[in-house]
Amino acid sequence: MSDKIPCSHCHLEFSEDVMIRDGEHYFCCNGCQGVFHLLSNEGLDGFYDKLGNNKLAPPSKQYEDSSNFDSPAFYERFVTLNKDGFSEVSLVIEGIHCAACVWLNEKALTNMEGVIATNINYTNNKAKIVWDDDTLKLSKIIDMIRAIGYDAYPYDASLQEQKADKERKEYYTRIAVAVFATMNMMTIMVAQYAGYFSGISENIKHILNIGEWVLATPVLFYSGWPFIRGMYYGMKTKTVNMDTLVATGAILTYIYSIYITITRSGEAYFDSVTMIITFVLVGKFLEVLSKKSIADTLDIMNHHLPNDVKVVVDKKIITKNVNDVNVGEVVIINSGERVALDGEIIHGCGNFDESSLTGESEPIFKNVGENIISGTVSIDADVKYRVSKDFAHSTMSNIVALLENAMNNKPKIQQLANKLSEYFSEVILALSFITFIGWYIYSSNFEQSFMISIAVIVIACPCALALATPVATLVGLSIASKRGILFKEAAQLETMANADILLLDKTGTITKGRPEVVKEEIFLSFHKSLLYALLLNSKHPVAKGVEQYIFEDDLDPLELENFQNIPSQGLSAMYDGKMLAGGNAKLMRTIGVNVSSSSENSEFYFAYGGELLAKYELFDMPREDAKEAIEKIKKMGIEIIMLTGDHEKSAKKVAQIVGIEKYEYGLTPQDKAAFIEKLHENGKVSVMAGDGINDILALANSDIAIAMGNGSDIAIEVSDVVLLNDTFSSLHDSFKISKKTFTMIKENLALSFIYNGITIPLAMAGYIIPLIAAISMSISSLIVVGNSMRIKFGYKD
Amino acid sequence: MSSWVIGMMLGVSIFLGSIAVMALIWAIKKGQFDDSEHFLNAVKFDGIDDLNDAYEKEQKVKELKEKKKENLQKKVYKPE
Repeated sequence: MSDKIPCSHCHLEFSEDVMIRDGEHYFCCNGCQGVFHLLSNEGLDGFYDKLGNNKLAPPSKQYEDSSNFDSPAFYERFVTLNKDGFSEVSLVIEGIHCAACVWLNEKALTNMEGVIATNINYTNNKAKIVWDDDTLKLSKIIDMIRAIGYDAYPYDASLQEQKADKERKEYYTRIAVAVFATMNMMTIMVAQYAGYFSGISENIKHILNIGEWVLATPVLFYSGWPFIRGMYYGMKTKTVNMDTLVATGAILTYIYSIYITITRSGEAYFDSVTMIITFVLVGKFLEVLSKKSIADTLDIMNHHLPNDVKVVVDKKIITKNVNDVNVGEVVIINSGERVALDGEIIHGCGNFDESSLTGESEPIFKNVGENIISGTVSIDADVKYRVSKDFAHSTMSNIVALLENAMNNKPKIQQLANKLSEYFSEVILALSFITFIGWYIYSSNFEQSFMISIAVIVIACPCALALATPVATLVGLSIASKRGILFKEAAQLETMANADILLLDKTGTITKGRPEVVKEEIFLSFHKSLLYALLLNSKHPVAKGVEQYIFEDDLDPLELENFQNIPSQGLSAMYDGKMLAGGNAKLMRTIGVNVSSSSENSEFYFAYGGELLAKYELFDMPREDAKEAIEKIKKMGIEIIMLTGDHEKSAKKVAQIVGIEKYEYGLTPQDKAAFIEKLHENGKVSVMAGDGINDILALANSDIAIAMGNGSDIAIEVSDVVLLNDTFSSLHDSFKISKKTFTMIKENLALSFIYNGITIPLAMAGYIIPLIAAISMSISSLIVVGNSMRIKFGYKD
Repeated sequence: MSSWVIGMMLGVSIFLGSIAVMALIWAIKKGQFDDSEHFLNAVKFDGIDDLNDAYEKEQKVKELKEKKKENLQKKVYKPE
């Protein structure tokens, strides 16, 4: 029983006897030892001081050859030359845990001869590296990153990301100008209002008006440019939209105020020009804030497939690019490798991890004559197989193509406020025109009729209408994020509130994704260390489940001999001259132990020297809060359907436990997507929650995609909503918050219409005196903001 | 007289404020706000060693840049 000591490199703790001793340092594996020595030799051991109490993942040892990074095709796609003649590449660095990792990567790369600049983003671990290609090749840079225990793969930064970045920066500057002007405008307005009530000299009022004019001008023409541009495009296509209303309202108010300022008659409304543009701009910014980059997603996806495969030609093994392999050729897959092309096994057998297609973590045993599918990973199989489909038609390439298609054609539900504003703008413009004609006929005074018709638009200035949605969603988003629910776009709250159907993936979403022991039967008492030692050697989920169950601090792994991993049966080893065996009923029968298998759960038997000692039953349990949350979501009137790649028996069992009546089983990723497509045709709005690579197609096809926080990166990338704390109750919360927000939006819209219903007739009749106009404009906006704040009261923590 | 004072004060304060806004916009354009964690984390690893390293690197990069320039010029002016 020894104490645990930390590894000198990764700081993970292990017991002393399993560690590699090296002078005064201890290492958990050769990988850590290698990195540690490399860092000391390079003079980078300051890294460990900076690391503090953080833990690292031990470096994995197997990498593809880095030489394909030097191929001309690769350079053409990812490497650009800058104006000084140096090369530039954008990389995603994997394995960064903390700020010290960033420091180490930057330092190690910068110290290399020929590297000009390294810039690693602390937030998203993306790196931009500039280097001199005459001195140094890219493969050497990749080798260095791998040598210090990280991995890197390139991504194409030139496409969407740069565009999105530029757009974001543009919004920042526009908002900076608008907020600055609005804040200054407010101080001037204090003087104006005070002057209005207690008297102000005409001269000072004139100077204040000019000051407002100066402030309002950049806001209208610089910050408000997106709206003016939107109005222009709207006019070109003869459509009226929210932009038209905001832009016409602001421009006319601006012109009206200039006229007032110059003629020194009445009140100027420069403040409402800046206010409306500032508020609506911030709302619009929230909508574009985090639009998903399709290119990024596909890059990650492609990274899941190897570029090269080993092909047998004339009894020799050569490496070929996946695109050059023809149907009928024989490809070799070794353990740990990912399958790139579909085919049929002609030699060898072993276990494959098909989780990327089915979502099930349990390995599947495949023998000669069975099909293997691209995207799966060989766990322990060394096989030769005949290619049955070329790369472009293989399953995984198909999924990537479908994914790209689905993400490009995501259905967009028009927002309620946008729909209404179309009619609203048309009606207001028409009313203003009628007012002008009416007054001109009535009074034949052109100037007076024109001013009154403009007053109609100024009063209808859609402050409240334009604010109705952004303010409510802003409050909704902030409540959601406090509860660990991340909406990537503001508009999604509204879409989600209109959802009819919730689709759930089984493994990893409803369930925890790993089997747990639900029943233990001990036939003969034994020392747990014996079983623990045997289980330590296996990575099979069932073995891991039992290991977790029996684990105690005082377990001491015993030395076992002759360890064997018997595919799809279990494990065996020798201890003290007798045979240890752990596995399913089939294994027990093979070694001559009689057992009767009856349970519907996965079973794990443990025998020693031909005697059965214990039996464990395991089951992938649903999350604790799943049942309750599902019941609550049902009560909201949302239909719930479970979609799973698993077989009927376990699908049924899980569905029963959590109370889902409808479920579909044995679905491929494409089946799931097709299921959602069918719902679309029936006009249903669907929400899909999933976690794995097998769900991404369905996620990309659904109206709202929800990913579990511990799901695969790609699922999170594709999704609209991420449940950071990974619980089912937050799934219920996200529905509740979106419904509440939507109710609030509707209330806000109703309020703004009531306001307009009262003031517009007054304006048309020419009764709008400056006092009423100024007060009512501010009050309508305040009511909308105040009403939205009410969402918060329902969610006091 | 008093209206002149108010006008001047208004002008000066808007002018000074707009300088600050310009500075902010300049910083946004330079990419200083691209990485929100950089400010918080990078400062922890600042020290004399890092400063010296950065200086040396700067010198090295300067040399490399000049060399590259020469090479490029050679390529351009070399009569074939």
